[in-house]
Amino acid sequence: MALLLRTFTRQGTCLFRPQFGILCRHAVPMGTTANEEMNTFWAKNNKLNRPMSPHLTIYKWSMPMMMSITHRGTGVGLSGGISAFALLALVLPGNYPYYLDLIHSLSVGPALLSLAKFGIAFPVSYHTLNGIRHLFWDSGKGFKIPEVYRSGYVVIVLSILTSIAAIGYM
Amino acid sequence: MEENQPCQKSSKAQLAPAWSTELDQKSPTESLFYRSSLLSRTLVAQQKDQDCPYPLTATIHGSSSLYAASVSKAASLHWTGERVVSVLLLAMGPAAYYFPGPAVDYSLAAALTLHGHWGIGQVLTDYVHGEPKIKMVNAGLFLLSTVTFAGLCYFNYNDVGICKAVALLWSK
Repeated sequence: MALLLRTFTRQGTCLFRPQFGILCRHAVPMGTTANEEMNTFWAKNNKLNRPMSPHLTIYKWSMPMMMSITHRGTGVGLSGGISAFALLALVLPGNYPYYLDLIHSLSVGPALLSLAKFGIAFPVSYHTLNGIRHLFWDSGKGFKIPEVYRSGYVVIVLSILTSIAAIGYM
Repeated sequence: MEENQPCQKSSKAQLAPAWSTELDQKSPTESLFYRSSLLSRTLVAQQKDQDCPYPLTATIHGSSSLYAASVSKAASLHWTGERVVSVLLLAMGPAAYYFPGPAVDYSLAAALTLHGHWGIGQVLTDYVHGEPKIKMVNAGLFLLSTVTFAGLCYFNYNDVGICKAVALLWSK
């Protein structure tokens, strides 16, 4: 019965289109947007000072969860790196080859150099490959759970391989 | 409203999405019957094949064609824009490798900045709540993205450019 009440309060009944004497009922949402509802939720719960239920601390971590947060982490990291680079370009006096030679002269050693290259290459390749995976999802494909796991493993393996290949290149 | 026998046929019922979500996992036809019993058969979905000998009692329009109020398409356009920029950025990878130069440099600066701006925007939307805080962090993000784009363009103009920079970095 609550369903019945909700049905009638949510919908508007229109009478200005009598097609063959039929009553038209529109599924016009007379409610709020998702954004508005989210803001209402947070305003109410913050005002009531409600504690938040444990979620990340109690839920079992799955591979798709970890891949998702890694995608976000690499995205934020890369974005921060680009912004930092741009800021330095504006602020520092010398030009790029100058600073590159400065880093060269530090003579870091091949192992640390490869590690640094991997540290740059892996976030780029992981975020790119997982991004392609996301675009497949956006087209509606690959949502079955085995598919999610399979595509996930493919992304991880390819990311590592391409990063290692990138170190060896040049 | 005319009281008629509803056409309870096996043909597919045209239901608005909002209806089927409320009844978890019922097929459209099933949920129609469920509703029929609940609402005393005052509601019947319109059928496409018109094999009903008598007129229907009601139609449900789920589409936006008869909207009383218009809803902004900003959110869905934003979503599409994000995907478009993502695909363009993807294409710029091989472009930067095979055709390095100012055209790709500036395109890369624009695409990287925009993709990053929208991406961080989504992160902030997820974790920052409360109207004043949201406004503040979004303003800060806008500032950061502007400075980032300015810096990258400055680098492209006054220095070696993004493509060359990556090439030099990797030649270590």
